[in-house]
Amino acid sequence: MNSRKQILGSLIGLGVCGLLGWLLIPFDLALSQNLAPSSKPAPDLAAGKAAYQDNCARCHGLTGAGDGMDAKRMIPMPRKLYEGIFKFRTTASGTPPTDEDLFRTISTGLPGSRMPDFQRLPEEIRWQLVAYVKSLSTVFQEQKPEGVDLGVDPGPAKADLKKGKEVYTQLGCAACHGPQGRGNGPSAPTLVDNWGRPIRAADLTHAWSYRAGSAPTDIMARLMTGIDGTPMPSYADAIPSKQEAWALAYYVQSIQETPRWNRTIEAVKASGALPMAPEDPGWAKAPRTDLRLSSNYYRQGEILPTTVTAISVQALYNEETILFRLTWHDPSENRQAPPDAAALVLVPDRKLKTLVGSLRSWPATAEAPALDLGYWPANEPDKAFFTNTRGFGFTETHAVIDMESIPLESKASYTEGRWTVMIKQPLKHLQREGAIPKKSILIGIAVWDGGNGEQGRRRANSNWIDLVLE
Amino acid sequence: MQARSRNLPLVIASLLIAHSALAAGYAPEAQAFGGATLNGKATLEGAAPARDKIKMSADPVCLGQHKEPVLSEEVIANNGALQNVLVYVKDGLSGKSFPAPTTPVVINQEGCQYRPHVFGIQVGQPLEIVNSDSTLHNINAQPKVNRRFNIAQPIKGMKTTKAFDKPEVVVPFKCNVHPWMNAYAAVLDHPFFGVTDSNGSFTLSGLPAGTYTLEAWHEKYGTQTQSVTVTEGETKQVNFSFKTK
Repeated sequence: MNSRKQILGSLIGLGVCGLLGWLLIPFDLALSQNLAPSSKPAPDLAAGKAAYQDNCARCHGLTGAGDGMDAKRMIPMPRKLYEGIFKFRTTASGTPPTDEDLFRTISTGLPGSRMPDFQRLPEEIRWQLVAYVKSLSTVFQEQKPEGVDLGVDPGPAKADLKKGKEVYTQLGCAACHGPQGRGNGPSAPTLVDNWGRPIRAADLTHAWSYRAGSAPTDIMARLMTGIDGTPMPSYADAIPSKQEAWALAYYVQSIQETPRWNRTIEAVKASGALPMAPEDPGWAKAPRTDLRLSSNYYRQGEILPTTVTAISVQALYNEETILFRLTWHDPSENRQAPPDAAALVLVPDRKLKTLVGSLRSWPATAEAPALDLGYWPANEPDKAFFTNTRGFGFTETHAVIDMESIPLESKASYTEGRWTVMIKQPLKHLQREGAIPKKSILIGIAVWDGGNGEQGRRRANSNWIDLVLE
Repeated sequence: MQARSRNLPLVIASLLIAHSALAAGYAPEAQAFGGATLNGKATLEGAAPARDKIKMSADPVCLGQHKEPVLSEEVIANNGALQNVLVYVKDGLSGKSFPAPTTPVVINQEGCQYRPHVFGIQVGQPLEIVNSDSTLHNINAQPKVNRRFNIAQPIKGMKTTKAFDKPEVVVPFKCNVHPWMNAYAAVLDHPFFGVTDSNGSFTLSGLPAGTYTLEAWHEKYGTQTQSVTVTEGETKQVNFSFKTK
């Protein structure tokens, strides 16, 4: 007995040690990754060039001309590194980035763009990439980086949000970013970058879309340095004091909406009539799911961007109906053709998913499975309809299907860059092929920005996710 | 001892007078390096395109400052006289250096337009950028050779001073908030440049004797060059004729 206890005891002891070791070792590694870069290695352009050709040339091109073979599939397009214009720096407007700025971009990537993070590359290699990227443009010999002083972060406790809001108004941020920061300012539709390409003002409420970080320090850096190559100017001389600039940075942080990325849409059961009014307190109990939207729409080999990048969904249901509450940001309200629109796309039989492919590519062929569609158009906002379609009506010029359709009750409002749309569906639409209330249905959401010429296949799409009736 | 102390105030006074005379005389733009003058006209052959109306509705502050419709400044031709043509000495001044003036060239944002629309400035000469409007403007300068900048001027009365350290024809300026706003600056290392007025006329004065290549630049119709020789103190006429394509 004793020996068994002893053995058990030692085994447990070993197990604990092992567990501790397992926990501690990655912690050490994690620490070393997060440390500020230690000493830079001496530049080795041959090593940098080899790493560049392996990792970077595919998008940025062999000479840094932004003409890599994948480049045309991307919006925004990969930077033309030879031009020496870099967006995300800690240096004065028009001056080159520091080595650390370049290292950061390579290491953390630019979320929201197609620039990935290269954490998998050892630090040493990333420094060699910095040196090699610098060799691609003469700007690094012609000019020195001029660091900007960001002042002292007052910390969230001392942030003066009221002052920050005043500064937001005084500096005219709303001209492009809109009064609520949704990217719907009056000058937003005509913005172009240095190369004459249309560019959007950031939706400041979507922190996840800020390329180089959304913390107040990052916002300060953008304010003080401007985003070179884009309309975003430097406010270094325009903001009277660093305190005011920090107040503004914290104010911008305060308008960021925390997304709830989720793999399911949880529809909650409600008793009685479902609330068509979006502000109804009955919605408080319906959890919100945020979905990212994207498209892969090409014309003549070049990708065309779509406007809407995320949507929030809530759902309530009773015995007979299910009501969806959708909100999304769209800088322009388009009630004429082509109208703003949204669709709830249901895959009636989950087994069809592999045939359907992604919502982005549907319908991939003439034989693609037909799907159930609850479609809402802004030109007839209370005339949403339900239909079953192969999507052939979704050609470039036609958004509407000439198939038998069933009207749905719907209601919509647009304020300050945001659509709120209610679409009510009979529950039996979710119960196809006789299955008694299915608890989970495969659903996707598509959104069109009419102002961007989006119709038919040119639309922003979510991934397929599960709609679960709780 | 006494004689010196009586003379001292006189010496000081005359020194002061001499200094201020020199200071007053040293106004670089007025300083003539020579006595020759080149003047002439820029004309447009063919029917000038109609000037588009600028829509300022996106900014009520801009809209509110204009009673009349505002017209595009890309081509301003009055009965063939082409305005806003920049004429400058492109070649022929080698070996001479011209100090940068300290008085700034002022570019003003007024009524949501740049004033002037086209101008010349010397290398190293200060450029004072002023916002006279109660609305946000950003000055997005996109030179190819000089240092770029993009700065915000949200407050009326804000002034920012910049300078260019290399010759460049031309440096474009734009405002992203108000996309119709454009200006062009020719940065030169000498003071022999001018911009044609509403009569299409320009004057380059104070030139030393020599043979020069003159270039005329227009934002839509491109450039024209001519060679001209002047003797000391001579006045010569040089005309440029642009064609609508």
